[in-house]
Amino acid sequence: MKKLFNSAETMVDDMLDGFVSAYPQVKRGVSDPRVIIRDCNTKDADEKVTLLIGNGSGHEPIAMGFVGQGLLDANVVGDVFAAPSADLILDGITEVTGKAGSILLISQHSGDMINGRAATMMAQDDGINVLHLPMYDDISAAPPERKQDRRGAPGTMFIYKIVGAAAEEGMPLQALFDLGEAVRDRIVTLAAAVSPGVSPLTGLPMFSLPEDEIFLGMGVHGEPGVGRVKVGPIAELVSLMLDKLLADRPIAKGGRACVIINGMGGTTMMEQLTIWNETHAQLAALGITAIAPMIGSYVTTQEMGGFSISLLEPTDDMLAYWCAPSDTPAFPDISCDAKDTST
Amino acid sequence: MSAEAFFARLLEKFTAEMAHLNALDAAVGDGDHGSTMLRGLTKAASAEEGRRAKAFMRASGGASGTLFGLILIAIEAHLDSGADLATGLRTACERICDLGEVKVGDKSMVDALAPAVAALGSSSLSDAIEAAAKGRDSTEPLVARRGRSQYVEDGGKGHIDPGSVSVVIFLETLAQVQGVS
Repeated sequence: MKKLFNSAETMVDDMLDGFVSAYPQVKRGVSDPRVIIRDCNTKDADEKVTLLIGNGSGHEPIAMGFVGQGLLDANVVGDVFAAPSADLILDGITEVTGKAGSILLISQHSGDMINGRAATMMAQDDGINVLHLPMYDDISAAPPERKQDRRGAPGTMFIYKIVGAAAEEGMPLQALFDLGEAVRDRIVTLAAAVSPGVSPLTGLPMFSLPEDEIFLGMGVHGEPGVGRVKVGPIAELVSLMLDKLLADRPIAKGGRACVIINGMGGTTMMEQLTIWNETHAQLAALGITAIAPMIGSYVTTQEMGGFSISLLEPTDDMLAYWCAPSDTPAFPDISCDAKDTST
Repeated sequence: MSAEAFFARLLEKFTAEMAHLNALDAAVGDGDHGSTMLRGLTKAASAEEGRRAKAFMRASGGASGTLFGLILIAIEAHLDSGADLATGLRTACERICDLGEVKVGDKSMVDALAPAVAALGSSSLSDAIEAAAKGRDSTEPLVARRGRSQYVEDGGKGHIDPGSVSVVIFLETLAQVQGVS
């Protein structure tokens, strides 16, 4: 597989050089070039709790693309598909945490959890006021009674955005943490993969799948999910996925759901909009209003083909934060206005 | 006594032990424990004062770099600023058990570290080393429950856990630079 890089040794830092020179909202931190912070560091803003996350690279635009006003204060960038080390995350925490404290978001995967939690402990040893918030939403990873064992999937973007908007408004640390947990309790995500991404490190496909099969529930690194289904019209696949999502966390008739349709990197906008169209129509048939969609390839695994559907049944406050303005390199404008499509 | 001598000595030891540790790890994991430790220790030896254990974490990488780094942070703080060794290692051991979801008997570094911590509470570093070595040897018949070794045939039964070997080397090296043994 052809890949467009200079070398495996420099690919992450070459990308980061490009990223910070392209976007005015972000810059490199002083503590380490792998710490990406807002152009105007919010550490000393008196009442602002800061929000950060560490993650492996290779999944762009998440999470560095979400650094900026109304969203993250920092992103600590690891090597390709590898969690950043605990001391690097600690550098990020130290760089942006002021007296209002900070929250380290952790998308729940083993390496991210161990290194993120170790960084939090070390920061607390240094007297820094930081909490860690594990994020998980992938219903294929564990049953509802073991929700806390689920891994992080694209539905975690609801947490980034809602907690980020609330932090910008001046919400204090513990209230933000509680809000993050409350959002997490209302999110479900299920993914469907059609073709593998190619690792930039090895040049090899990350899994294999027969031409006529779709893998349901696959994680962002190709982790196994619930099983395989045959390729058919997308309406059937969306119907199956919505059945599973709503069985896991029901939404009553008359309810509403914020939706994320996330492309994995190799699935076109044409396909994603078709998937949204089915999701919207099928939820409407169940008496559920799909609102404020986020559609696009935000959590990617190189050119992996496939998508996920995430649902959040929001409170009014959550919905307002979800649609609040933000200014980052990659997070889209989201509209909460009810859209009349009857004509 | 600064941590500089400790890390320099540790680098020498792991340079000598790398192939042996890799061979031990080949039986229970992916065969790179010695190389991973050496990569971290090489950076630690040339890092600036007070950031040696952190440099180890960064260069060693992965979850194991973090977990072994927590032990080295405690030793570094003890040597550089006189922090209490028993307390530091106890905290490190508790955190390793918590973060790595391991306990004594799971065939891991904790099988050497936990008895050493217990001995340090009431006894000397020499006794702690003896307890750690006994714990290390106890891993041979055990079946791994965490980490990569849980996926190898028989969970690595019949092989000593290389992480427990490294813990003993850490403590022996500490005793040597402190002139205890």
